Amino acid sequence: MLESLVKWSRLKSPWILHFNSGSCNGCDIEILAALIPRLDAERFGVLLKGTPRHADVLVCTGPVTRQMKERLRRVYDQMPEPKFVVVVGQCGCSGGVYAGAYGVVGGIDKVIPVDAYIPGCPPRPDAILDGVVKLLAKIEKGGG
Amino acid sequence: MNWLLSIIYLVVFPGILFVLGFAFFAEWLDRKVYARVQRRVGPPFLQPLADFIKLSSKEDVVPEKADNAIFTAAPIISLAAILAAFLYVPVVTATALHVFEGDLIVALYLLTIPTLALFLGGWFSGNLFGQSGAMRVASLLFSYEVPFFLALLAPALMAGTWSMSGIVVYLYGNPLAFVVTIGAFFIAVISLQGKLERLPFDIPDAETEIVGGPMSEYSGRRLALFRLARDAEMVVGAGLIAAVFLGGPWCPFISLDPGYIAWAVGAAFFILKTLIVLGLLILMKSAVARIRVDQMVNVAYKYLIPLALAQMLVVVLVKYMGWF
Repeated sequence: MLESLVKWSRLKSPWILHFNSGSCNGCDIEILAALIPRLDAERFGVLLKGTPRHADVLVCTGPVTRQMKERLRRVYDQMPEPKFVVVVGQCGCSGGVYAGAYGVVGGIDKVIPVDAYIPGCPPRPDAILDGVVKLLAKIEKGGG
Repeated sequence: MNWLLSIIYLVVFPGILFVLGFAFFAEWLDRKVYARVQRRVGPPFLQPLADFIKLSSKEDVVPEKADNAIFTAAPIISLAAILAAFLYVPVVTATALHVFEGDLIVALYLLTIPTLALFLGGWFSGNLFGQSGAMRVASLLFSYEVPFFLALLAPALMAGTWSMSGIVVYLYGNPLAFVVTIGAFFIAVISLQGKLERLPFDIPDAETEIVGGPMSEYSGRRLALFRLARDAEMVVGAGLIAAVFLGGPWCPFISLDPGYIAWAVGAAFFILKTLIVLGLLILMKSAVARIRVDQMVNVAYKYLIPLALAQMLVVVLVKYMGWF
């Protein structure tokens, strides 16, 4: 009873934190476009938060550069459990065109565990919302 | 029976459960109307409850640099002070649960405690953003608190009493007296907006400048309590203004028989008047953008305080001429 209530509340109120670990800003602009009034993410309970302490979902973009590796790790550690990570864009999924470059560690999953990948260069805003909905379906099945 | 009624009053109806339920409803109304003004759909009805349960079930984090005792006590104290302030607001009849000469002043000071708790919580969270947000909280206290107190002096002068229930009793006798203090009503609503740190006065937690302000390090159940306390403060502040300026439970059919129907109608009118004040707060938030710290001090000291003093002069003149 209590568990299903907690699960319901988690599904209904995913607060997101947006983190750029070396992206070209293309995916970041698309994430902001997914939060505009026309698509209205707040009807799913999504709020954009400024601090990792408030967030449930870390939305990452870009390949992880060697400079950003420690910062990404720290921001992830600052989020309270349970937490989820969504990667937006080809570079974040695998490193993309930067895979193997000297200054780049690779995709986001080389540094922190990832729950959902949204490929594209950059993905459309509706694809990003679709990825978040798929993450919620995963949590509902028991991933959380 | 009397003690049973008192317990019901404290815990259920105009007491704790009612205020908390109304606080959740007020947050939903706030976000929904804000969304509709921006041509969005807005959150579903149970959204504030879902946020509260989710935050309460999250991991409990206290930063290493934070002072554990103050960090934990701040949200609890702010919620407790707000719930205590509501006991002096007349909801059902013209007399609140506890009445004494000067309870208006006590309620106003109790409503100041959440601001100080937020300052202490932000200051001792060990985060630079939290500390700069806390400094903004403390420095803005002086710009909205003075016009808020001055505006609430006007109906007290009008009724000749420092007790909220006394003011409501006076308004029962002279329902048109609210026309005289209508200027102070709007000053009080604007100052309440500053007290609640909402747009255009959300300078302390400006998320585009200092991430989360004093709440930057708060997470989990402490953040849930702080958010609930802020919503409850919105409800209690709006209820206080509705009682002192608009007569709280007063309505044209107040002399209904038997008594409990009159109580139900009175409570319904109190809720209606509170919703009117809440509506003003929400529409103001939707219509404006954030201002700077110095602009806020300007608004308070150049416009609100002189207008509040002029309003008091009007009240004194009206009393002197013997019109009310």
